[in-house]
Amino acid sequence: MKRLRAWFLAPSWTVMLSLFLFPMLIILAYSLLTRGTYGGISLPWSVESYQRFADPIYLGILWRSFWIAGASTVISLLLGFPLALFISRAGKWKNLYLSLVILPFWTSFLVRTYAWMFLLRDTGLVNSTLQKMGIIHDPLPLLYNDGAVILGLVYGYLPFMVLPLFGTLEKLDRNLLEAAADLGARPWATLLRVVLPLSAPGIRAGVILVFIPCLGAYLTPDLLGGGKSVMIGNLIQNQFTTARDWPFGSAISLALMAIVMPLLIAFVRRDEEGLL
Amino acid sequence: MNRRVFLLGASGLAACTHDRRPRLNVFNWSSYIAPGTVPRFEAEFGVRVRYGLYESNEEMLARVMGGNSGWDMVFPTGYIVKPMLANGLLAALDHTQLPNLAQLEPRFQQPDWDPELKWSVPYMVTAAGIAYNRKLDPPPRAWADMWDERLRGKLTMLDDPFDTIGAALKKLGLSVNTGDREQLKRAEAEAIKQKPLLRAYLNAEVRDQLVSGDVLAAHMWNTTAQQAMDSSAEIGFAYPLEGYAVYPDCSVILRESKRPELAHKFIDFLLRPDIAAANALAARTTTTNAGARKIFPVEFRNNRTLYPAEETIARGEWAKTVDPDSQRLRDRMWTEIKSA
Repeated sequence: MKRLRAWFLAPSWTVMLSLFLFPMLIILAYSLLTRGTYGGISLPWSVESYQRFADPIYLGILWRSFWIAGASTVISLLLGFPLALFISRAGKWKNLYLSLVILPFWTSFLVRTYAWMFLLRDTGLVNSTLQKMGIIHDPLPLLYNDGAVILGLVYGYLPFMVLPLFGTLEKLDRNLLEAAADLGARPWATLLRVVLPLSAPGIRAGVILVFIPCLGAYLTPDLLGGGKSVMIGNLIQNQFTTARDWPFGSAISLALMAIVMPLLIAFVRRDEEGLL
Repeated sequence: MNRRVFLLGASGLAACTHDRRPRLNVFNWSSYIAPGTVPRFEAEFGVRVRYGLYESNEEMLARVMGGNSGWDMVFPTGYIVKPMLANGLLAALDHTQLPNLAQLEPRFQQPDWDPELKWSVPYMVTAAGIAYNRKLDPPPRAWADMWDERLRGKLTMLDDPFDTIGAALKKLGLSVNTGDREQLKRAEAEAIKQKPLLRAYLNAEVRDQLVSGDVLAAHMWNTTAQQAMDSSAEIGFAYPLEGYAVYPDCSVILRESKRPELAHKFIDFLLRPDIAAANALAARTTTTNAGARKIFPVEFRNNRTLYPAEETIARGEWAKTVDPDSQRLRDRMWTEIKSA
């Protein structure tokens, strides 16, 4: 019996080892080596790449990334929660609405980001419509700023917030809501004191699924931010391309993980202890 | 898909695997060749060509760095040739197999990144300058004009550290290739001073915004500018007065190649004046081939964006390999400029 179990687990272990652990070890090794003359890596071993990352300028970029990813996550939650609640109550239309949420995934994220550029630019649809309606005279600077980056991130990752929220909200026992109403709770109080606490696992899953990819985003800040400011993902990307500094790029990646992991674990733990 | 279509496809597939013709694997920049070039080479030499596309030197390097990429030939920019050589990626060229080398323009016969053309043969060449909307009066003529307050919010620079720091260096009358710390710091200060005027740092994607009028002046490669000019008569291109960076893309044979003779044949084929002319005409790029220029249609030969006058060419400066230390300094500066 035990042997059988081991056999059945073998594929998942193989996948974990070959696709997760092994690449991580390579990155770890790279981060502790010296950059090659023209890209690549060479000996000797050194922790210099990590020391370099402690520089205020790089920490500033890290802070900025946290800020932008955090803002995107909060907005996704504020938009995603009502949407998920609505879909979970939609009866026979439920599946249709869910497909609509997933529909954007049918085209590439890059193409959809370009579509936003066409909407937001000075001669784009939004500005030209507002101008034709006489609401504004000069085009609004909608593209190439932090707002555009956050918009792009929220747009891209909203489904990752909606789906887990929908999962928990759908399972919510209606009797509890009725009980709350019977006991005199107004709708708002029911939402804040019954629905919200009970959907905490979904909120947590959604927050993690949105925050983590936003933190490492590099495409959106490049395209919608116009490259005027960098997020940590762009910094890492640069090290592997133009800067030809693989050890530094690897060190930033691992440092980022080392910072995010404890936060993540603490965040998930709360769930188990039932604090929220 | 009905059964007949399936069988047809399957027999086609079978035919492919039975194709005994030798195969050459060519990895080149996108839109850098005429559609007829590869079929003609295949027919003439009885071979097959697998032709792949890339968009940046970094993308190409990442693929071939390991030494078993499956490609025989790639087209690195001049300043990448030396690093590729240092990493043991290149095969030496045999000039006896390249009789058409004499067709190269004199300035490409002994280029400083490979004076004997032992490892690389210049193929096409690009330069970074200023593309602008003709509404601008007076039009920008120099890098200094890219620091002009009238362009606020309507100006872009390339999202590339070498190019944009290079433009600031040129504005100061310095070499784009400098490794001098103090000179680089001055250029950084210029770039930071310019940043509030910028709409964004954009590469090729600025083309559409230039055509639509969102952007009035853009730091741009001449080949990209030519594409913008082809779709709008409103666009002009200037080779800045202070000088500018020039990027030659070269044919090289990878050391991993198992068919170096065939690769030599392809390089020599690309050097034939009629083939080189067809490639430059179709891709709307600047050939390094003197023979090709002689047979160009007059209006293409006189296209001053792709084929500038001698005195303009004299202001150009080859982009050279940046040594590791100043590369690190430049990257740090770039991060500072971006964070400013």
